[in-house]
Amino acid sequence: MKKTLLALSTLALALVPLAVPQQALAAEPRNVVYLVNGNLGDKSFFDSAKAGLDQLEADGRITLNTVEMGGTDADQPKWLSTLYEVADSGEYDLIVCGTFQMPDYLKEVAEAYPDQKFLIFDDDTYAGEDANVANIVFRQNDLGYIIGTLAGCMTLDTNVERINEDKVIGFVGGYDSPVINDFMTGYITGAQAVDPDIKVDVRYTSDYVDTAKAKEYGNSMINDSKCDIIWGVAGNAGNGAAEAVLETGGGWFIGVDSDQELTFSDDLAAITLTSGLKNVGNSLIWFMDQWDAGEELFGKRTSLGIVEGGVGIVTDKNYDTITSDETKAAVDAAIEAVSSGEIVVPSAFDEGGNEAAQKLRDSVRP
Amino acid sequence: MNIFTTDFFFSIIRIATPILLATLAAVIGEKGGVSNIGLEGIMMMSALFGSLGAYWTGSWLLGLVIAMVVGLIEALLMGFFAFKLQTDIILVGTAVNMIGSGGTIFLVKTISNTVMGQSLTSTTSLITKAHQIPSISIPYVRDIPVVGKVISGHSLLTYIAFLLVIFTIILLYKTPLGLNIRSVGENPNAAASVGVSVSRIRYITIGIGGVLAGLGGAYMSMYYAMGWSLDMVAGRGFIALAAQSMGGGEPVGSMLAALVFGFAQALGIKVSATGVDSNLVAPIPYIVTIISLVLFALNQRRKERKRFAAAA
Repeated sequence: MKKTLLALSTLALALVPLAVPQQALAAEPRNVVYLVNGNLGDKSFFDSAKAGLDQLEADGRITLNTVEMGGTDADQPKWLSTLYEVADSGEYDLIVCGTFQMPDYLKEVAEAYPDQKFLIFDDDTYAGEDANVANIVFRQNDLGYIIGTLAGCMTLDTNVERINEDKVIGFVGGYDSPVINDFMTGYITGAQAVDPDIKVDVRYTSDYVDTAKAKEYGNSMINDSKCDIIWGVAGNAGNGAAEAVLETGGGWFIGVDSDQELTFSDDLAAITLTSGLKNVGNSLIWFMDQWDAGEELFGKRTSLGIVEGGVGIVTDKNYDTITSDETKAAVDAAIEAVSSGEIVVPSAFDEGGNEAAQKLRDSVRP
Repeated sequence: MNIFTTDFFFSIIRIATPILLATLAAVIGEKGGVSNIGLEGIMMMSALFGSLGAYWTGSWLLGLVIAMVVGLIEALLMGFFAFKLQTDIILVGTAVNMIGSGGTIFLVKTISNTVMGQSLTSTTSLITKAHQIPSISIPYVRDIPVVGKVISGHSLLTYIAFLLVIFTIILLYKTPLGLNIRSVGENPNAAASVGVSVSRIRYITIGIGGVLAGLGGAYMSMYYAMGWSLDMVAGRGFIALAAQSMGGGEPVGSMLAALVFGFAQALGIKVSATGVDSNLVAPIPYIVTIISLVLFALNQRRKERKRFAAAA
């Protein structure tokens, strides 16, 4: 009897995951076009979004068309015309694009085609202004808190190679802007929660492409401020900070957006502790789940944190082998606390949040 | 915090090197009457092929040679359009700069897709330390207190760059070719009337510039940063044009101007540690450019006045 019951319940459990895709299959797959305002192969945002959409297509939930529009200055005029073209065709149930470079173009087209649905990820410039646009953003302050906790634990753990006595960690940002300061304010808050004596050296490259300049900043942070952990949040330029770490032997680098250990050559991967992830792909799948379930996210800003899988941290490879069990436990506890809402991390997007972040930054300068 | 440490002065030279290489290209170009504003684009293309070349051949030296050859080819192509087809050289230069941005990303994706089966948008994942141009620690010099720490331990290309300043002086002022370059620059008709092939000299002038800018590009991707990434030259080719102008078009003056830029940026990096607003730090090199150009112009005017007064 018991055995039969067990068998039955196992069967029932096994059927559950089967039932969901069947339901999804029953509905007509949505026509989606993904406009890349850059190039695929960035091993970051664009690839991540593509992976999520590919997954949805493989599951038969969408049909996907991807357009690479190119990312240089010369390509920019194409972005608006491509948006107009796909919106005008009326073929698509959803037009997906992303990044801070798109909102102005998107707003113009979204207002010209009010019946067309759009999704923009990682930008909320005009969130809520158009009823047909969904803005998906990531709680990078939550991500910053987790990375800050890790960095704080690491700089105290002098048993780890190349970690010095000084309680100083570093942050290389792109611009002194809300989106970068959102990462930063979480990072500082997390590190200070570990030990209030920890100082944070924050520099901005004012540039996302000049790797060499970021390297100079990295050198200065290591030589002048004695940083032993540097988080690079400056696009391609951030890699310069990793090169500074490698060349000076000054500790560890932490990557951003995607798993940078995988994108670096062996030398740079060896000094990269982990990366803070923005999982654009996961968030698009999550969005589609919500949409299928009948929840309309258009016309508003939706911010995704750890719970929704929107942000996360790489926990295998170097992280696994280098960090101590205490550090791992502290990071896990931080993830738990942020997920449960026990800790609310300040955000640079809050009212007056950017000014507060700047003040916080100035108060923890080494 | 003490700003003026040995590594501060070391960083001035490191920052100035790529600017210096491109500046020498601009100096020789202007002497020969060839205004090459495409240096930025040439540097980008050479930066890409230098690092790809080093990866393919497994040798930084061959990568460096490839960067120089690519610089030369691009410059000669510019020459073909400007001298043979009579296109405005400024427009050709602008085109080269655009190719340096959009063309490089196109090429790196196409090449990596056909050769490696995956399209890359930078070469960072390919390059290890073995592909990079080595630093040279100079025996004896490195043991000199203070000075040794500043001038020893730089990239091989840095020493080559400063030797090239001497080379440029000798080329321009001590060789028949240099005389021809200068005379074509001053007055092409007069040069032609005494049997100098103006077009040949112009090709040589722009070609030398291409090789020098190629070295500058190689420095960016093969020493300064590990591998090529989009737009990594970030205006250094344009700053070189300003440095040429600031230096009065002479090799030594232009070298000093390049060092002034190195100083300005190194200062900005150090100042940022003290918490000065990054929006104030970022424009320092450009502010220095404007101030220097004004000072240079004032100085020129004073000299002109003096000469005028003496003549009168």
